[in-house]
Formats: sequence, structure tokens, C-alpha cells
Amino acid sequence: MAAGPVVKQIVQAYPDKIRLVIKNYPYKYRDFARIAAEASLAAMDQGKYWEMHDLLLARSPKLDRASLIAYAGELGLDVKKFTGSIDSGKHAKNIDSDLKLAESIDLYNTPTLYINGRQVVGERPFEFLKKIIEEELTAAGR
Amino acid sequence: MMKKLLGCIFVLLLFGTALAEDKRTEVPAGDSPAMGPANAPITITLFIDFQ
Repeated sequence: MAAGPVVKQIVQAYPDKIRLVIKNYPYKYRDFARIAAEASLAAMDQGKYWEMHDLLLARSPKLDRASLIAYAGELGLDVKKFTGSIDSGKHAKNIDSDLKLAESIDLYNTPTLYINGRQVVGERPFEFLKKIIEEELTAAGR
Repeated sequence: MMKKLLGCIFVLLLFGTALAEDKRTEVPAGDSPAMGPANAPITITLFIDFQ
């Protein structure tokens, strides 16, 4: 599971107050989790990370190689470059480093998020996240 | 005696809650995909699996 609609909603509710950072935690027993992460970063190289991010979430679990290449075409990416990137595992290092980071902070499940370092595990309702955001804004004096 | 014990438990509970509230994990952003202002007061770091 991934950046659900609730996280999106919360970011839209506080447009100037939140920076959203995405880390990949491809679960190793899911066939296409890793290549999908590669695809998202390959799209980032071409300036279309969020477009691909949203598309992957919308089309999941149809994330086999051929589908990913089709999505790249849909988004108007340079498909040859994109394909080369996912086939060579160009971003393997980035993904491995995210996995290592996850392990180091004892994270074994997605979705997990950190709000200014405060851990929130699982899908939570809007109001739950909003309460934490408000507390953090108050603490920051904003 | 009982009162003292209860008092101790209460203080310990308070302390525990305060600790839980303050538990923060440092999650470096690195060059991961991001949106929103770099100097935003709030950073949400989200670990995802697309599948």
C-alpha cells in the first residue's frame, strides 16, 4: 500500500506548511514492488515523478514490466531511456539505501509515515493526522 | 503507604506518557522524491510499496 488519499488530502489542506518525502519500501515477496519503485525513480529523472507515482497507485497491482513501459508512454516519457533505466536497475542503490534506512529505524510495514519524526503506522483517518499536524504547527509557532 | 505507592505510580505514568510523546525518529530526506517547500515547518516522510 502507498500514499493513500488521506496523505494527499492532508498535504493539500496545508499547502505551504508540509514537505512530503517519499521513501521506497518494496516488500521483497511482491513480484513487482521493486521494479515499480525503479519506474517511479526513472520517471523522476525525466521530471515526472508525481505523475508516475499517482499512475502506479491507480493501476496497482498491474505493475509488470510491460505495463510500466506502457505507463511511461502514457506520460509522454522517453520510453527508451525509461526502459534502459528500469532494466539496468539504475536506482538500485537508492532503493537499497531506503530499505537500509527502514531497517535501521525498525520499520517493517507500509504504509508507515513520520511527521517531524513522529511515527504513524498504517492507514489513519484525516482527523488523526490533522491533530498531529496542528500540534506540530503549534510547537513550531506557525 | 498506599497513598505514596499510588503517587509513585502516577508520576511514573506521567513520565512514561511524556517520553512516548517525545519519541522522534530522525529520517534523513536525502535526494528522495519530495514536494512542498524545503523550509516547511512539517516534514512528512512516507514509506511506500506501490504493489
